[in-house]
Amino acid sequence: MIRRRLPQWFVLLLPAFIVIAAVVLIPLIFSLYSSFTPYKLTRPSTLWTWVGTSNYEKILTDAKFWTAFGRTILFLTIVLNVELLLGLGIALMMNKITWGQRTLRTILMFPMMFSPILVGFQFKFIFNDNVGLVNNVLQSLGSDSALPWLVDGKLAMFSIMFAEIWMSTSVFAILILAGLFAMPRDPLEAAKVDGCTPWQSFRHITLPFLMPFIFIAMTIRSLDVARAYDIVQIMTGGGPARRTELLWTLMSRTGYVDARMGLANAMGYISIILSILFTIYFFRKLSAARADLGMEG
Amino acid sequence: MKKLNLMKALLASSALIMASESVMAQDFGNFDGVTIEAKLIGGEQYEALYARIADWEALTGATVNIISKKSHFEIDKEIKSDMAAGTTSWCVGSNHSSFAPQYEGLYVDLNGLVPADVIADFVPGNIAASTVNGELLMLPRAQFDVSVLYYLKSNYEDAAQAEAFEAEYGYPLAVPDTWDQVRDQAIFFADPPNFYGTQYAGKDEAIVGRFYEMVVAEGGNYLDEDNRPIFNSDAGQRALQWFVDLYEAGAVPAGTTSYVWDDLGQGFASGTVALNLDWPGWAGFFNDPESSKAAGNVGVAIQPMGSVTRTGWAGHHGFSVTNDCENQDAAVSLVMFLTSEESQLAESAGGSLPTRTAVWEANVAAAREGDDPFRAESLAAFAAGAEYSFAVPAIPEWGESTNLVFPELQAAIVGDKTVEEALNDAAEAVDELMRESGYY
Repeated sequence: MIRRRLPQWFVLLLPAFIVIAAVVLIPLIFSLYSSFTPYKLTRPSTLWTWVGTSNYEKILTDAKFWTAFGRTILFLTIVLNVELLLGLGIALMMNKITWGQRTLRTILMFPMMFSPILVGFQFKFIFNDNVGLVNNVLQSLGSDSALPWLVDGKLAMFSIMFAEIWMSTSVFAILILAGLFAMPRDPLEAAKVDGCTPWQSFRHITLPFLMPFIFIAMTIRSLDVARAYDIVQIMTGGGPARRTELLWTLMSRTGYVDARMGLANAMGYISIILSILFTIYFFRKLSAARADLGMEG
Repeated sequence: MKKLNLMKALLASSALIMASESVMAQDFGNFDGVTIEAKLIGGEQYEALYARIADWEALTGATVNIISKKSHFEIDKEIKSDMAAGTTSWCVGSNHSSFAPQYEGLYVDLNGLVPADVIADFVPGNIAASTVNGELLMLPRAQFDVSVLYYLKSNYEDAAQAEAFEAEYGYPLAVPDTWDQVRDQAIFFADPPNFYGTQYAGKDEAIVGRFYEMVVAEGGNYLDEDNRPIFNSDAGQRALQWFVDLYEAGAVPAGTTSYVWDDLGQGFASGTVALNLDWPGWAGFFNDPESSKAAGNVGVAIQPMGSVTRTGWAGHHGFSVTNDCENQDAAVSLVMFLTSEESQLAESAGGSLPTRTAVWEANVAAAREGDDPFRAESLAAFAAGAEYSFAVPAIPEWGESTNLVFPELQAAIVGDKTVEEALNDAAEAVDELMRESGYY
C-alpha cells in the first residue's frame, strides 16, 4: 500500500493557512452568518435564529443609515483632499530645506504618535463652547458670543474634520516627501535649461512623478478615514441630533450599546462596499499614473 | 472643609457604633480558601465601600479578586460581551436598576438565597425596582439616586434683582417651586456666555430620563401598560417645549446637548449656573471650597413640580450574583456584606443616599442633631424628593429605546424639527422596537 503524502509546499504553507483561517476567515464567516440572524449580545440563543435578509432589508430602507453613509463619503472626500493639499505643500517646502530637515521630519510626525482618543479629547476641549480655547481666544479678541462648535451641524463637522486633518496630514507629507527624494534630478534640470517656469516644472514633471505616491497615500487614508470612529465618538458621539453621525458611530451604538450585533454586522458588510469602491478607484488611478510614467507591469 | 470632614467622621463613627450590634449578630459564614471574582463599578465616590472588602475577607476567610473596575457604561458593555462569549463564571457584578432587566439569565434570583428579614430591612421601593419578572436580581447599595434642585443662594438676596424680576414676571422672586418658575428665572438670570440660568443633560439616556420625569410631572407617561410609547402626548409636548424654550432663549449653554453628568456637575461648581437639577452625589462636591466656586452659596430644595405633580427619575446601584458562579453562597455573603446596615452607614456618610430604612432614619436624625446645616438641608430635600421617585420601566428595551429617542429630543432642541415632529418620529421608532420585541 502506498501512503499518500501531502505536497511539501502545502505542508509548509499549512501553519499560515491555519493562522489566517483562525484570525480572519472564521470571524469573517461568523460575522457574515450573524448578519442573517437577529443576534443580540444579551440573548446568545438568538444567534441560531435565521431571519434571512431581514437585517439587510431593514438597513436598505433606513434613512438614518443612508444619511450616515452619505455623510461618511462627504467626510472622506473633504478630509482626503485637504490632507493631500496640505501634505503636498508641506512636503514641497520640506524638500527645499537643507538644514535641520531630519528634526523637522520627526516633529512633523508628532501628531501621528498620539492616540486618536487623546486627540479627540484635546479637540473636544479646544472647541468646547463654554471653557474651550477657541471661544476664549475669540472672546478676548472682542467677540461677545460663544460659538457652539460641537453643536451646530456645519461647525461640528468642521471641528471633527479639523481634528482628523491635524492628526493625519503628515501621512501624506511623509509619503510625498519619500516620492520627492526618489525623484531623478535630470528631467528637472533639463526643464530648467529649456526655460520652463517653476510652475511648468511642477505641473508637468514633479506632479506626474508624485502621483503614484499620492494614490498610495489616498488608498491608505481612505480606508482609515472610512472607519473614523475614535475622534468622532469622543468629540460629539455622532450628535447632536445625529448631525455628525458617521457609519462607525452608528454601528458601534447598534452593536455594543443596543447589543444588536446581527444588525450591526449587516451594516458593516454594506459599509465595506464603500471601502472596496474607494480602494478600486485609487488602485485604478495608481495603475494609470504608473502607466503614464512608463512603469506598468 | 476640615469641619465637613470632621462631621462626616463623627457621623460615620456614631453610625458604626449604632450598627455594630447588628453586624456582630449577622454571620457572613466561613469560606476559607474560596476566591470570589468581582466586576465592580469604579470611581472615586465608590471606593470607600470597596475598602471594606478586606473586613469581609477577614470575617469569612475568603478572598475577593476584582477582575474589572470601570465606569458603569463600560462595565455594561463588558458584561454584554461576556454574555455573548459565555464567559460569565465570575461571581459578583455591580448592577443598576436601569440596567438590570437587560441581563436576561445572567444573575441569580436572590429571593431564595437572602433571608426574608434581611430583604425586609431595605426600602420597599428599592426592592421593587431591583425585581424583574418576580426575581430579585440585586441587593441595593447606598447609592440611591434621585435629583433635587441646587441653586445659588446669592441670586435670592439681591433686592434690586428681586424687584426687577417681579416687575417683569409679576410674582416675587423666590426659590422656584414649579418648572414654569424655573424657566422664567433661568431666562431672567442668564447672561451668556458668562452666566447661565440653568443647564440640562443633553444626550444619551441622561436627557431621556430628564424628559421622562418632566412628562410624568405634566401628567403623562413614557410607555403605557403594554409598553407602547405614549410620550408624544400633549404632556410630552409640553415637557419637551420646556427644554426647547430654555435653549432658544440662550438660558442654557449652547453645548448643553453634549453634556452629561460630569459636565453638569463641573458647570454648577464653576459658579456660572443659577439653577441645577442634580444628583445627591454632588452635594458635598458643590459645597466644598476646594472643588467648587459655589461653595457656601449653595442651597438645596425639593425638585420643582410640573403642572400636575413633582416627579423624580430615580435609580440605584446594587450588587448581583451570577448564575454561573461556583461559590454562590460566598458570593451572596459578600453582596449582603456590601449592602449591610454597617456598609450603608459608612458609604452614605460620604453623602450618597442609602437604600435601607434604618440608615435613612439614622442619617436624617444625625444630620438634624449635627452642626452642618448644609448637610441637614440637603438630606431633608432628598428625603422629601425621594417620595416622588419612580424607576424606569423594568424591560430590557429601556436602554435601546433611549438611543432612539435622544437624537429626536436633540433635533427639537437645536431646531431641526418641531416638538411634535420630533416626538412623533421618536414614538414611531420606539413603537417599531416594541413590536419587534413582541410586546404587542
